[in-house]
Amino acid sequence: MYCYLYDEYIQQNKRYERELLKIENRLTDLGIAGKISRLALFRNAEEMIRDEIQRGVQTVVVLGNDETVRKVIDVVADCEVVLGIIPIGPGNELARMMGIPEGVAACDILSARRIETIDVGTVNGRRFVTGLSVPDFHAELTCEDQFRITSTSRRAALEIRNLADVADPCDGKFEAVIRAAVKTGWGIFGRKVFKESVFPMKSLAIRSDDPISLFVDGEEMTSTRFDIGIEPMFLRVITGKARVF
Amino acid sequence: MPSTNTQETIIAQGVKVEGDFRSDGDVVIDGEVSGTVETEKFLRIGETARIKADVKAKSAVIAGEVQGNVTVHEMLELLATSRVKGDVATARISVAAGAQVNGRLSMDGSANSEEE
Repeated sequence: MYCYLYDEYIQQNKRYERELLKIENRLTDLGIAGKISRLALFRNAEEMIRDEIQRGVQTVVVLGNDETVRKVIDVVADCEVVLGIIPIGPGNELARMMGIPEGVAACDILSARRIETIDVGTVNGRRFVTGLSVPDFHAELTCEDQFRITSTSRRAALEIRNLADVADPCDGKFEAVIRAAVKTGWGIFGRKVFKESVFPMKSLAIRSDDPISLFVDGEEMTSTRFDIGIEPMFLRVITGKARVF
Repeated sequence: MPSTNTQETIIAQGVKVEGDFRSDGDVVIDGEVSGTVETEKFLRIGETARIKADVKAKSAVIAGEVQGNVTVHEMLELLATSRVKGDVATARISVAAGAQVNGRLSMDGSANSEEE
């Protein structure tokens, strides 16, 4: 049984009306049509999905973008149902990496049901699929309680990657990537180049004296402490042949 | 498939690692490390690396500065720019002209017997 979850911005924007109609027709043709639920400002997405799962839904399909996936990821992962995506509109990096084309073409991918189980990252108990970034990184990383990493450069950025073009989301680890500006050459002929450090790991703590901003799947979080971990092979997703992993 | 080996650790310039660093995969160091460094696979220490640590690896190529004991179970290659201050234990070694080693060199299989 399938449940289709429409994000609010799709319902409000008239330019998606025709695309939605095509998608609904294609899903019916393929025999995978299901109940349609609509996200709204004061409607709890988690509660809605839990109700549907209790009624026997085994696949939750999100019509929207990365932000829509973020709203449902906790409940979908906890309830061990399969997650599908029909990407509509901008901000669909996750769908691209999973090899799912935009709009009506995604229906055929859903119908093929190529299911992969992937790792899910956590930051302060909050789950993420793709990764997170700290654009202005001046903190200390403690890795698996064994060693500390600091940047000796004034300009540095931190990125944690779980699912990315160069990161495997099925290996039980995430990658911590630090890009630090390093001066090369002498005197006025010197120039700054960014050098990339890569650490594959299972857990990581970020500590800072001043509050730092971190962007999780595009959303901002601010704190002086972040604990990052990984839940290996935790989320079942429908993917296409063109997936990056 | 990912385009790079996800098990490879790179410690580039501009980054400092302190403590007991251990890896299951290949390690490339061009930055600063203090404490201990251990890998079950290949270790490359670049020209810009500054290491104040005991180093253990399956095989290694050193082009930078190491202050600490170096234990390599298979092949150790010291390039012309390398400077090692500490004891070296390895099964096989290659030393380029210009490489500096200040310490004892043992090739009596002690590197492998330590592992056992």
